[in-house]
Amino acid sequence: MKMTYKRLAAILWTACLMCTLLSWRAEGQTSRGTDIAVVVNPDTPISDLSLADVRKVLLGERQYWSSKLPVVLLIRAPVARERDVVLKVIYQMSEDQFKQYWVAKIFRAEAATAPKIVYSNDMQYELVTAMPGAIAFVDARNVRPGLKVLRVDGHLPGEANYPLR
Amino acid sequence: MHRGLVVTAMLALAAGAAWGQSPPASEQAEQVKALLERVEQLEKRVAELEARPAAASVTTAAVTAPSAAPNPEVQQEAAKPEPSHQMEGHMDQAAVRQMEPHYPNLQIRGFADMDFSATDQKGTTSGFNLGQLDLHLASALSPKISYFGEMTFTAHPTNYTVEVERSIIRYDYNDYFKISFGRYHTPIGYWNTAFHHGAWLETSIDRPEIVKVGGTYTPIHFVGFLVEGNIPSGGAGLAYSVGVGNGRGDTISRPGDAGDNNNNRAWVANVFARPVKLYGLQIGASVYRDKITFAGGRNFREWITSAHLAWTRGDPEFLAEFSNVNHRQYFTNVSTNNPGFYVQMGYRLPWFEKTLKPYYRFEYLHTPENEAVFTNLDLVESIFGLRYDISSYAAFKTEYRRASRLPGTPTINGLFLQTSFTF
Repeated sequence: MKMTYKRLAAILWTACLMCTLLSWRAEGQTSRGTDIAVVVNPDTPISDLSLADVRKVLLGERQYWSSKLPVVLLIRAPVARERDVVLKVIYQMSEDQFKQYWVAKIFRAEAATAPKIVYSNDMQYELVTAMPGAIAFVDARNVRPGLKVLRVDGHLPGEANYPLR
Repeated sequence: MHRGLVVTAMLALAAGAAWGQSPPASEQAEQVKALLERVEQLEKRVAELEARPAAASVTTAAVTAPSAAPNPEVQQEAAKPEPSHQMEGHMDQAAVRQMEPHYPNLQIRGFADMDFSATDQKGTTSGFNLGQLDLHLASALSPKISYFGEMTFTAHPTNYTVEVERSIIRYDYNDYFKISFGRYHTPIGYWNTAFHHGAWLETSIDRPEIVKVGGTYTPIHFVGFLVEGNIPSGGAGLAYSVGVGNGRGDTISRPGDAGDNNNNRAWVANVFARPVKLYGLQIGASVYRDKITFAGGRNFREWITSAHLAWTRGDPEFLAEFSNVNHRQYFTNVSTNNPGFYVQMGYRLPWFEKTLKPYYRFEYLHTPENEAVFTNLDLVESIFGLRYDISSYAAFKTEYRRASRLPGTPTINGLFLQTSFTF
């Protein structure tokens, strides 16, 4: 028994060391480009989120803005820059990991649906304005009237230290 | 064993050939990217054209300059599009209508696996076997009510068994309170609620012994109700689940699907944290209490305590779960402890588009000699494996296992192969 626990302690110690070393790397930022604005339906009762809160929303850990208003996640289709930024900065996942994450999330009965995939800015704009609780990620240059832009960590797109770029 | 190695080599060659024949993904991505950029340019052009007449007459319309920060408040209403763009508008509106949620909706997903095993254990034969075919249903009945179902079809020597693994109806009040009724995977520890029956979801070929489906150590299923949700805790990211149900049935590996076999309900409580500053980390603890009644009238109190630590981001992957099952006989008051744990580590290699993931798992399980509920479950096992993700939804896994059970019995070596996928 003692030998087994010693072996367990050795495995745990080695694993912790490996985790620390292997996960210690530069991550989170994409190649520098324009800022990605977080936009919501104008009726959403929120105007400021921390990056951690945005991550909770995108991971499906926060599914309600309020008890009467569910979150509706909209994400651009693959290879759009908005999606790249969301995956790299917020999810910190590859395209495959992202797909697998949502398959697993629904399979665990933690969410009934995956994020809705949108194929253009026009479609994104229409959906955010039409669907209460909708949240989407838009190139700041393409933000249109009728959308509510959220502050992230207290910053708006275009300001220094804005985290989504 | 030798035959197994030959089969491995053949499968490896087949996988290599298939890999070589796959189309160049990067080229396709480039083409799609170029097309999307073109769509973006055209959209911008349309927006410019739409804005021209509006700019002349509506001086108050908010226009976001490329480098300027957008207004934090709701942007003012855009001018109506010109008639020439009404067709695009109709198309977008149709797409929007299609994407709006309709109730009830239904999503079906399947998981399946095909396995090969060869061991040096006397009395066993090597060969292929059809794993589990697993169907998962997810249906939103309204914005706040959803149903989840999971059914498996498992091959046996003379027939197939069909099992309702999970059947859950859940009402969400908000993020802090969600109540559900049905048949669950008992929320004890990590693995049992993280991977369920989809072999493709888990890195390894099989579950650890302490959460083995059909095993007796952990009550895998639970029939009753569950309350779950987040706990307002700032950066700690706490969440909970608390449930009451039938507990173990006459056959202790099964729950009381058709009713409890005593008047004592089982209960379970699980708390875990996903700290905001350590994105990917989950630490948790669970307790489970039940009264086990055997057909002869013998009764035992059961306490299960469990703790887990999981680094779920995949690079590297680290899962560790420790559990202790305590049984006390009501009549004699004899108490026994059955400790068990596993530690699993994996790392997705940076080459070959991160499709290769070597992993190692160590498992330990001990039942004392005077344990009266479990038959002997002693196990010390090491597993060395390699997972190769053939695509986003299919994987090929190979494992070498070295296991010893009772003292004095020979160590068993085995080679295991699996292809698992979701569809």
